Amino acid sequence: MRREIPLVIVFLFGLFMIVQFFIPHRSFAFLYQEFNNWTIIIGIFTMVIGVGSLITVHYSKIRFKKPGWGYSIVTIVSLCGMSLIGLIGGTENELFLNLYRYGLSPVTSTMFSLLAYFIASAAYRAFRARTVVATLLLISAVVVMLGRVPIGQIITAWLPEWLQLQNIADFLLQTPNVAAKRAIYIGVGLGVAAVSLKIILGIERTWLGGDGGK
Amino acid sequence: MTPQEWGLYEYIFNGVAALLTLCIFSFLYKDNPFYKFAERLVAGVATGYFTMLLFWTNFMDKVYDPLKAGQWWYIFPAVLGVMMWTRFSKKWAWVSRYSIAFYIGIGSGVSITVYLYTYLFKQLQATIGFPITMDIAGLNQFLVIIAVLSALVYFFFSTPHKGALGFVSKIGIYVIMICFGAGFGLTVMGRVALLVNRVIFLKGYLIQLFGG
Amino acid sequence: MKKSGFKFLVVLAVSIWLTPFASFAEVISADSAFQSFPPMPIIVTVSDMPNDPGGALIVEWSIPDADSLTLASMNVYQISRSSNPDSEFESITSLVAGSTRYEDSGLEDGKNYYYRIIAFDNDNRLAEGTGGPGVPSGQWFNTGRIPILIMVVLFATTAIGFIVSAKKGYKFYVRPIAGIRAVDDAIGRATEMGRPILYVPGLGTASEVATIAAFTILGRVARKVAEYNTRVIVPNYDPVVMAVCQEVVKGAYTAAGKPDMYDANDVYFVTQDQFPYTAAVNGVMLRQKPATNFYMGMFYAESLVLAETGFISGSIQIAGTDQLVQIPFFVSVCDFVLMGEELYAASAYLSQEPQQLGTLKAQDWGKVLVVVLIIVGMIFSTFGWESFAAWFDVG
Repeated sequence: MRREIPLVIVFLFGLFMIVQFFIPHRSFAFLYQEFNNWTIIIGIFTMVIGVGSLITVHYSKIRFKKPGWGYSIVTIVSLCGMSLIGLIGGTENELFLNLYRYGLSPVTSTMFSLLAYFIASAAYRAFRARTVVATLLLISAVVVMLGRVPIGQIITAWLPEWLQLQNIADFLLQTPNVAAKRAIYIGVGLGVAAVSLKIILGIERTWLGGDGGK
Repeated sequence: MTPQEWGLYEYIFNGVAALLTLCIFSFLYKDNPFYKFAERLVAGVATGYFTMLLFWTNFMDKVYDPLKAGQWWYIFPAVLGVMMWTRFSKKWAWVSRYSIAFYIGIGSGVSITVYLYTYLFKQLQATIGFPITMDIAGLNQFLVIIAVLSALVYFFFSTPHKGALGFVSKIGIYVIMICFGAGFGLTVMGRVALLVNRVIFLKGYLIQLFGG
Repeated sequence: MKKSGFKFLVVLAVSIWLTPFASFAEVISADSAFQSFPPMPIIVTVSDMPNDPGGALIVEWSIPDADSLTLASMNVYQISRSSNPDSEFESITSLVAGSTRYEDSGLEDGKNYYYRIIAFDNDNRLAEGTGGPGVPSGQWFNTGRIPILIMVVLFATTAIGFIVSAKKGYKFYVRPIAGIRAVDDAIGRATEMGRPILYVPGLGTASEVATIAAFTILGRVARKVAEYNTRVIVPNYDPVVMAVCQEVVKGAYTAAGKPDMYDANDVYFVTQDQFPYTAAVNGVMLRQKPATNFYMGMFYAESLVLAETGFISGSIQIAGTDQLVQIPFFVSVCDFVLMGEELYAASAYLSQEPQQLGTLKAQDWGKVLVVVLIIVGMIFSTFGWESFAAWFDVG
């Protein structure tokens, strides 16, 4: 019951979603739309257990005075405060929006901007070209980087047109880049189909838990 | 509102934003109390924000309003959602498997056809629809096909990559690495622009605070 | 006298010559040069939209009697609709000259619809026609997607065939993949160092197959972790993903005979915002100092931040994603990367179950078919045989 019924549910709904792809009739289109809505609704209700998990973890830290328990108070207070403001005033109230604008948004943008530092750090380490593949990655990255900026055009302006950086960069982007992407996408398509089939047929059951992925 | 029109309220809020920005930047030095504070603060703020957004927009629009309008069938997803709450109980947590099964079944079923269509058919269509001609475009198309075939061979799992297959597979990984290098190179400038934006914000605030 | 007489005779002759045309001039006035001619007929055909959910019709028309000059002079087509040819027609749209087709939607299935098309040259009605009835209806099978159906059936049949062979004891060979071979070593390393393992299941939802693949890999990893008495930390972005991860990890510990080792606080929800989540996971990496980091599933811009922070904290890193834009960053920073299809093959590799390996074989045969189709398509297109490539043009 505890394992068989979920497997039957996966099979039935999985099969339905495959079949509906080939049936354009509005009744099937309606069911497709509705089932997708249902997954969103399940996600909405599941947020409760997400918040519950967050509170449980941090409360446990505070209660047992684990290292960093003081910061857990910050998390719980900010969570409760934001939720209360949103619940009472709605999502359009000025305070709620300002907390997002001046509290959350700057941190998100700053974390995003750290990528500039990390990309330089990754490039420095990765481009020490110890293998053929690393060398190819390095050369390709440098050519494309330089080919998109004016200095790259200036450096190779004296060369024949087909040897100029921007043209080589364009070639790399239009030929090997496109080809590799297509091959990877084809592989991904087949891989997704295989995994989905395994799940629908009940061969892949790890998501159910309990069998430990044997 | 331009910085010249700022009142006390704007100074305080922008000050908080600038402070949090610096707290996150401090992570580049090492883990420190400022970063920990900012990290834990935004975890709470973000969760509160998205929970309220989910409640007022998604829950009200997709569950409460339809049920109120007489669309009784929305009781089913609501029940499936409530079944997820059994995870709070060790004894009854297994009930949530039914909701998870529905969720995963829908996702798997949609994925087979959509991925075969988008990731297989569309790529095939793009690759085989162009003739090989005796000009630059034709040569380019020929090279693309050779590159696609060799990259596909790289992903063969059930044959050893030896001999001719091994040679083609090597060409394939070289093509893939060139692709990744190109992707890397394309992204660099965009990432640097993000950093420039944050620095401009900080500079603007400091100028407004002390010079403005 | 002679000159004026001559002039008179010329005027008289011209007037007599123009007399037949004078009667024509009385009929045609300067303002209504063409209104006395009836408008040319427009042949209007109305048909049901194929392969649709219903409520749509296709209206097509032609004016066989019009020459190119007349067609060029028409500057607008007015389209009207009615459910009865004898009642008033309601104007629904106007189309520019050159149009020969209109798709009408939002109609009621099973009801008759008639269409009237009038072609205008400014205010002059040049051509007119009525067609119908057309009856909208939804189709029960999308014939345009037959190629995809063939592919799905072919793939499913092949996979099931190999699964059946595997059940009968047929052994399938799989070539080694470095990233998957490294999993055991990475877990062993964590055990030796007495440090935990960090498993990040990505930022996708539980309905995305990449995340489901992450679950299957987590199951194998968690089983090994339980056997080695090591700890696995799983911070989650999505609450449903968290619920599944808890089931998976708990089940793995139970199957390894160590249910008491499972700590629910190790598989927890962080937040559902990209960079706050990233900040929190960075914090875990810097403070808990895991020996091994797994990044499996869907990742976006945060991939590099996570991988770099993991490198700084000295962890072995194994990543797997199908997000093409992020793979280069993982390749640059991580020790091992499962690229694209390798992520989906990982669960078969890790389990070594014959049924799982059977589907891997089916994937390879799918690629063989693709290779053949590409080569055949290339030859056909080069020789101008377009129909082969057109077969893949699926709507």
